[in-house]
Amino acid sequence: MDLFANLLLGFSVAVSPLNLAYLFAGVMIGMVVGIIPGFGPAAALAVLLPVTFGMEPAGAVIMLAAIYYGSQYGGTITSILLNTPGESSTVASTFDGYPLAQQGRAGPALVMQAVASFAGGTLGVVLITLLAPPFSQLARSFGPPEFFLLVVMGLSTLIVMLGGNWRLGLISALVGLALGTVGVDLETGNSRFTFGSAEMIGGIDFIPIAIGLFGLGELYYAFYSGLHVTGTGGIVQLQKERPFWPTLRDYAETRWALARGSLLGFVVGVLPGAGATVASLMSYSLEKSVSKTPENFGKGAMAGLVGPEAANNAASSGAMVPLLTLGIPGSAATAVLLAAFVLWGLTPGPLLMAQKPEFAWGLIASMYLGNMALLALNIFAIPLFVQMIKLPYRILAPAVILVCTIGTYSVNGSIVETWLMFGAGLVGFFMKLHGFSPAALVLALVLGPLAEQSLRQTLAISRGSFGIFLERPVSLAILGITLTMLVAGIAMRRARRQD
Amino acid sequence: MRAGFLAGVLLLAGGYTWIAFAELAWLSSAGRLGPAFFPRIIGVALVALCAWSLAAELRHDARERLAEFWRVTLVLALLSGLFVAALDVLGGLVSMIAYMAATLAFLNRRRHWQNALLAVLLPLAIYLLFRVWLNAAVPRGLLPF
Repeated sequence: MDLFANLLLGFSVAVSPLNLAYLFAGVMIGMVVGIIPGFGPAAALAVLLPVTFGMEPAGAVIMLAAIYYGSQYGGTITSILLNTPGESSTVASTFDGYPLAQQGRAGPALVMQAVASFAGGTLGVVLITLLAPPFSQLARSFGPPEFFLLVVMGLSTLIVMLGGNWRLGLISALVGLALGTVGVDLETGNSRFTFGSAEMIGGIDFIPIAIGLFGLGELYYAFYSGLHVTGTGGIVQLQKERPFWPTLRDYAETRWALARGSLLGFVVGVLPGAGATVASLMSYSLEKSVSKTPENFGKGAMAGLVGPEAANNAASSGAMVPLLTLGIPGSAATAVLLAAFVLWGLTPGPLLMAQKPEFAWGLIASMYLGNMALLALNIFAIPLFVQMIKLPYRILAPAVILVCTIGTYSVNGSIVETWLMFGAGLVGFFMKLHGFSPAALVLALVLGPLAEQSLRQTLAISRGSFGIFLERPVSLAILGITLTMLVAGIAMRRARRQD
Repeated sequence: MRAGFLAGVLLLAGGYTWIAFAELAWLSSAGRLGPAFFPRIIGVALVALCAWSLAAELRHDARERLAEFWRVTLVLALLSGLFVAALDVLGGLVSMIAYMAATLAFLNRRRHWQNALLAVLLPLAIYLLFRVWLNAAVPRGLLPF
């Protein structure tokens, strides 16, 4: 009964005209962010944070969350039409989406991805509705050892699951943790690594770092890869002579892929660090392994598009669970959302749902409406977004750099932070070029202070013994899940190498 | 090139670790774990991992070729740096117009009218969005806008 009362409360917040307007603006911006290669939701959320300064907290977070999950929808349009994923989480959608478009089935592919995204996203929100309250209740029993292990779990999963060189991923995370130690030590009041600078006493703000790494760095890399020249050259036109709508057979053949992708995506999304990219790749492997015609995968199999699409959208919903109930972001984008919560004086964690129900449930209710709006946009406004894809990158990219720079400055009115963003952009370019992980760096920077504080408190409780992690049942369970994720990640990497 | 980047990170990690050992206390005055505890663990791990990765990289000795578009990337990065430097002097609006004009002249050649229009309209729209509509901070230089 409480559940329905809370949902009703949430809808009463979400359907206020102003919040509906913010929600619609958020999904539109998310779609646009999704279709711009090299400009991800993390950078977009960070840049647009100052845009929300004049809003009510609920409206601001509803809009920012809509940008986050809306970008998952938008990223697939370029995957299907250009063979260029707008987001890393839509990489798997290029495997079969682009071949479908080449066969003249771009229309059905776009509609099916919209339906899959809607089903995955909505199932994800239903599961949040059901699971967030008990998760929140459980999280109230967590102490410093559990929080420390959750941070370890998030970072280690991110490093192992995303592929590439694990040593470089770990170095990226350690650099993020090191940057997180700059500033005043909260327990003793001593300054660390500030070199006498007053600007550094408060620590390194991760907003300029996130904008630099994910905005500027990615754009530089896109230019280095020649995207300004190739641009939209590979676009597959929506062919008018072919049927735009999917056939009944398309729906019938992919219904189980839809269900599997949604459930898998949600579970992966809930685990800190794994996220939408991992979920979509896992779903693609799963669909290929259970298919009776695996040889069709990579040549335009609809299940190869529908599964990953449902998975990445369900994962982006699932990622809200640790954020809302534990205050632990699972990705760079949710880390920026966490910063937005803090900016508005809200503390995500076990007490959020009890102390600010109108806010937490307003956000959840808005996600139902957001997914519906995105479904309609993705089916009926596709021609509009196709026109946007045709905008030359050589014009789009400098405009994005303007927004990144002015957006960074406007957060605190600080030119030092603007330089920091520029420096992070250069570092981000080289990180991307050499196979490091900017996402691990940003996540570690955000989680570093929590990791340090909880580890020191844990060792104070246990009088210096690390055995405390094995003595508490919840700690032991988190350790078990972490080890399972690591083993699964290593197995996935080996399987990918063998493929 | 990756070896060079790793060597740079190793150098910075070495400095970080040295400060953690030389300047920060392991225990606080109350006898609890102090400000050096976490940085020393991170620093040592970072130095060890960077050294290991650097050694592995040097063993492979893979000579990487620069991509075709490195000059474009370099010019774009230089223009972005000049843009940030100009913010305090010229102010937000003028810097944005100058940056867009220079960048579009370089990237979008021989389309003078289109470039001129974009170089004025886009910065103006961004200025109005941040300064007027959102009332957010936009850099002020020697000019009042």
